Amino acid sequence: MSSLKKTYIALTFITIFMFSFSYMLVPLYDIFCEITGLNGKTNQEKFLVVNENPTERFVTVKFTSTIANSAPFQFEPIDREMIVQVGKINNTFYTLTNNSTTLKHATASPSVVPSEHAEYFKKIECFCFSQQQINGLETIELPLQFIVDNELPLETKTLILSYTMFNTTDQIGSK
Amino acid sequence: MSANIDKLHDDHHHTPSGIMRWITTTNHKDIGTLYLWFSLIMFFIGGLMALVIRAELFQPGLQLVVPGFFNQMTTMHALIMIFGAVMPAFVGLANWQIPIMIGAPDMALPRLNNWSFWILPFAFTMMISTLFFESGGPAAGWTLYPPLSLQGGDSMPFVILSIHMLGLSSILGAINVIATILNMRAPGMTLMKMPIFVWTWLITAFLLIAAMPVLAGAITMLLTDRFFGTSFFTASGGGDPVLFQHIFWFFGHPEVYILILPAFGIVSTIIPAFSRKKLFGYDSMVYATASIALLSFIVWAHHMFTVGMPLAGEIFFMLTTMLIAVPTGVKVFNWVATMWRGSMTFETPMLFAIAFIVLFTIGGFSGLMLAMVPADFQYHDTYFVVAHFHYVLVPGAVFAIIAAVYYWLPKWTGKMYNESLGKLHFWLTTIFVNLTFFPMHFVGLAGMPRRIPDYAVQFADFNAIASVGAFGFGLSQLLFVYILFDTLKQKVSAEDKVWDGAEGLEWTLSSPPPYHSFEKAPKVE
Repeated sequence: MSSLKKTYIALTFITIFMFSFSYMLVPLYDIFCEITGLNGKTNQEKFLVVNENPTERFVTVKFTSTIANSAPFQFEPIDREMIVQVGKINNTFYTLTNNSTTLKHATASPSVVPSEHAEYFKKIECFCFSQQQINGLETIELPLQFIVDNELPLETKTLILSYTMFNTTDQIGSK
Repeated sequence: MSANIDKLHDDHHHTPSGIMRWITTTNHKDIGTLYLWFSLIMFFIGGLMALVIRAELFQPGLQLVVPGFFNQMTTMHALIMIFGAVMPAFVGLANWQIPIMIGAPDMALPRLNNWSFWILPFAFTMMISTLFFESGGPAAGWTLYPPLSLQGGDSMPFVILSIHMLGLSSILGAINVIATILNMRAPGMTLMKMPIFVWTWLITAFLLIAAMPVLAGAITMLLTDRFFGTSFFTASGGGDPVLFQHIFWFFGHPEVYILILPAFGIVSTIIPAFSRKKLFGYDSMVYATASIALLSFIVWAHHMFTVGMPLAGEIFFMLTTMLIAVPTGVKVFNWVATMWRGSMTFETPMLFAIAFIVLFTIGGFSGLMLAMVPADFQYHDTYFVVAHFHYVLVPGAVFAIIAAVYYWLPKWTGKMYNESLGKLHFWLTTIFVNLTFFPMHFVGLAGMPRRIPDYAVQFADFNAIASVGAFGFGLSQLLFVYILFDTLKQKVSAEDKVWDGAEGLEWTLSSPPPYHSFEKAPKVE
């Protein structure tokens, strides 16, 4: 019955491969989104060296904020809207207020619309995915430094940067 | 049936009797019977939940249940019907039929076979027990989308573990089916001479071992996200909930074909038998089944057109989805061509098979409507979707299973069922199934969202009709149970070749077949 044995060894192998494949889909999904610029994921690494190369072109950058799951925060951009020169470094910041009386941890995740142009929005300094520690009733400023890349297609006149602030106190506390 | 079993038992001294016989059995027919009974019980439990849903939706407003429990009912109804009723029924039919159709004495891996069945009752006991938890059962829908499913109560790890067990059972069953078909065919039975039901099951089994592990991976990620601090899908840690939808539907779309391909095989077996003609276009049927299976892996995102995909993605998934209509159309035309100018008779299995073709095609057409991206934005998450998938699953998969039971029941039991009662069961079922699901098209197109316990008053009339239909459908199935028991009590034995137009090795065996189906392999011309 060696052919039978071969069959079920091969089938077991396919099963294990497909289970691993479901995990492989996670990095594949990120790579796919990165290559195609879909999903509005901004570059997660910060650009340490950026050459300014200002052009005569101006675009509007809008800033929005969301607080996830009604966390006890107030989270807002200081500028709702900026008209920025393409290829020039800009500075702005968001403010985060802890409305509760206890120490909280918070993390923000960014997203850019239109998503296919997310790659042209380069952040030099940003607070994405880093843990913020904030005391009760305290307000902190979260600085953001960015540059709109010269390669931004001409038809794009507006970019929207959105941050969602999550309360991660429970996760941090349990670690 | 027990009378026959006792008789068979006398010939074989090594089988234990009583309950231990069923627990320790490695016989493909015993295990097939267990699967089929199990699936019938699950069909009624899942059906009861559907009736809770329909009773609540009989009128607008909240009457009977609280919204949280309503959500648990929709979730559990789907999980039980998919994993508990339809899939085990097909595995049961595979167990009974594949060895006697390919001329084998039993399945290739009999002990594994026993194990894959006995996982099921434990998995479902665990899953259903969550309904009695203080925080209730799962309520995020059978698709378990995060973040909602991550916010559920204590039921979540139990449900995930039970889905893992169900997946394991299906994978073991599939391995067994493939090993049997590839290694145990009678001499002379080449792949392209296999009965079409065996072909569809071979392809289904490959879909199972390719798709179920992906589901296992997705729900394992949910579990680690909730309990072990990973962030595959939690946005606060940089994860993405949409990723879950992609992984889930990468499993989910092959899964819906797992639920329908064996039904295609059953209908392709029954239609020729009662048309007294050979199946029209056997080869094209095999290739159509295989291409449907292959296409099923590249269409998953049509379940999620509204998540905010780029235009290129939507067009790709729209076109590949529509492409599936081609092999499916080949099948429908082949069935019709098989009946064309045949000497047709309309016994109960044939009635169910013809109703399958008509009603499944309606479900296929509404699927084509949903495949169109601009239209889908209107239909997404409405009752139109509910009407669509119930048309392909109830008068689709379930009708095929019922047809198969009527077709092979005389072979399995050695007794003939009551034909008049069978026809009555058919007409009641067909009328009520349409009464239940057809109005859902209208309320869906008018904008009634799915998965809600309450709705706007303008949908009231059609919902009342659907609820009446659902109760009628449910009660008609009690007649089916009566017919099954009535068959076992019949005095006259069935012939070996029950249907004069039927072809295949199973009809060369006695009714009921001997304990070890083919002791000596038959020769196939």
